[in-house]
Amino acid sequence: MAITAQIEREGLLAVIRRRYFSSLSNAILSIVSFALLAYIFWTVFDWAILSAVFSDAGGPEACQQTDGACWAVIDSRWRLILFGLYPHEEHWRSGLACIVVVLMTVLSCIPRFWSGKAISIIWIGGFATFYFLMKGGIFGMPLVDEQQWGGLSLTVFIFVSTALVGMPLSIVFALLRRSELPWISRLTGLIIDSVRSLPLLTILFTFAVVLPFVLPDWASGDKLYRVILGSALFFAAYQAEIIRGGMQAVPKGQEEAAKALGIRYGARIRRILLPQAFKSALPATINQFVITFKETSLVIIIGFFEILASGNAAYGRGEWTFAYVEVYTFIALIYFAFVFSLSRYGAYLERRMDIGDR
Amino acid sequence: MTQSNEPAIVIRGMNKYYEAFHALRDIDLTVEQGERIVICGPSGSGKSTLIRCINRLEEHQSGDIVVLGTSLDDNVANIDGVRREVGMVFQHFNLFPHMTVLENCALAPMLVRKWSRARAEEMAMQYLEKVQIPEQAEKFPGQLSGGQQQRVAIARALSMQPKVLLFDEPTSALDPEMISEVLDVMVSLAKEGMTMLCVTHEMGFARQVADRVIFMDRGEIIEQNAPEEFFGNPQNERTQKFLSQILGH
Repeated sequence: MAITAQIEREGLLAVIRRRYFSSLSNAILSIVSFALLAYIFWTVFDWAILSAVFSDAGGPEACQQTDGACWAVIDSRWRLILFGLYPHEEHWRSGLACIVVVLMTVLSCIPRFWSGKAISIIWIGGFATFYFLMKGGIFGMPLVDEQQWGGLSLTVFIFVSTALVGMPLSIVFALLRRSELPWISRLTGLIIDSVRSLPLLTILFTFAVVLPFVLPDWASGDKLYRVILGSALFFAAYQAEIIRGGMQAVPKGQEEAAKALGIRYGARIRRILLPQAFKSALPATINQFVITFKETSLVIIIGFFEILASGNAAYGRGEWTFAYVEVYTFIALIYFAFVFSLSRYGAYLERRMDIGDR
Repeated sequence: MTQSNEPAIVIRGMNKYYEAFHALRDIDLTVEQGERIVICGPSGSGKSTLIRCINRLEEHQSGDIVVLGTSLDDNVANIDGVRREVGMVFQHFNLFPHMTVLENCALAPMLVRKWSRARAEEMAMQYLEKVQIPEQAEKFPGQLSGGQQQRVAIARALSMQPKVLLFDEPTSALDPEMISEVLDVMVSLAKEGMTMLCVTHEMGFARQVADRVIFMDRGEIIEQNAPEEFFGNPQNERTQKFLSQILGH
């Protein structure tokens, strides 16, 4: 870094003086900004740590005697926030299932496991484990209906299944959209544009409430899976356009070279077109994943108890009503942990893919 | 597929249109096995389009193209069969930037010829040695110079062990000092008896190795002859004009 080199050369004080105190106005600006930053930092630190009540031992009353944060509400209600309406004695199952899904996602993000076989084992194994842990009914685990699933594991599950169903769907959409047969490409374009023109809420509502009237009973499945399907469709419509943009960035000569070598359509797409398309589409793709993760909270409208809804419930009843800021801060931190890791992973992928670039 | 004395490529009465534009007019051309042909002509004369029709990167609208005994029509199996046996080298190399040089060369033999990775890479290394860059095998195309990239592209085409090689202005995108390293490789291929069709402006190359030079203008084959005759005694007015333009200075 340039600044460390500068410090070595000139000494810390000299660098600070030159950078922040080079003139009177600069000096005033620096001092004011620094004071403001220090004040904000101190206020937050005091609220969150020094004056905060961490333990539930004193009950809500202990919180009301201080100006600090009331983390006691988390201490008291963390199970409700993380597990929603899931039966109390079975919480370990929900926690474990959540870890399984996160682990599955992390594993499938590691390049070592990027082969068809490894990925399918990880995903099928991961989803099966999640499903049996959550649903139960075997190995002496009591049956827990999807309606009672909730909290963090539900949020993570909805997100990961949306991505896993939506991603292949988006690739199919993107490929059909560039089909040489005009009626196929136009029809796909129409589907994509229609889905994009509707609010996500309407789509979720349609899939959860309207679809059962249209489909026969055996085909409609649980509401949860219909909602996931709806949100996957929504994800796919946007992601398909992102991938299409990536494909357009791949020079025409790439496909021609593959054709001239006798490589067939499927392999051309998998080995030549998509890897290059994804590279240029990566920033937008990560963006879409982040949006999708945060949009999982919309399933509240269908009556699901994902983490935001269970957070609402955690402060909503009786004695903790004053502590909503703490609950939302806690949930925000959880969101942050997930989304921030996702962004960092995106940055890692970009660096990794850059290797091939000059 | 082919008998030993059968022509490699037969084109009869072929026409090609882009919408209303008549790109190739009544092309008749027979290429014997082992024959080396250089195609030249002003830009927009249809030379590239012609050789791109031979491996069906472009579709022709009428007439016949028979490559190594296989007729090019809408039958996908025929197209695949022809592309397996006909290699192509492009003006802009078109190497796959996300793969190493070795992977570039081994990919098609593995996918199309169904060779094992070990065998495909071994063969690929042989061809990289032939174009004299085996030491670059683990690099990515973006790390190489233009001349090196084009030699890799030739090795990639050779790795499929084609019976015919098409060159589409292989030196036009190169810096002048890199042209000769690519031409050297092409000359050595020609001397080994590879059937070659080269669209190029390198008239020195044409003189040195071509069995026949073809001059095209406005979508037609205007004149074709052995190099000495072609350069020494051009018959058509347009050929004379073209030659005086590119050789005149």
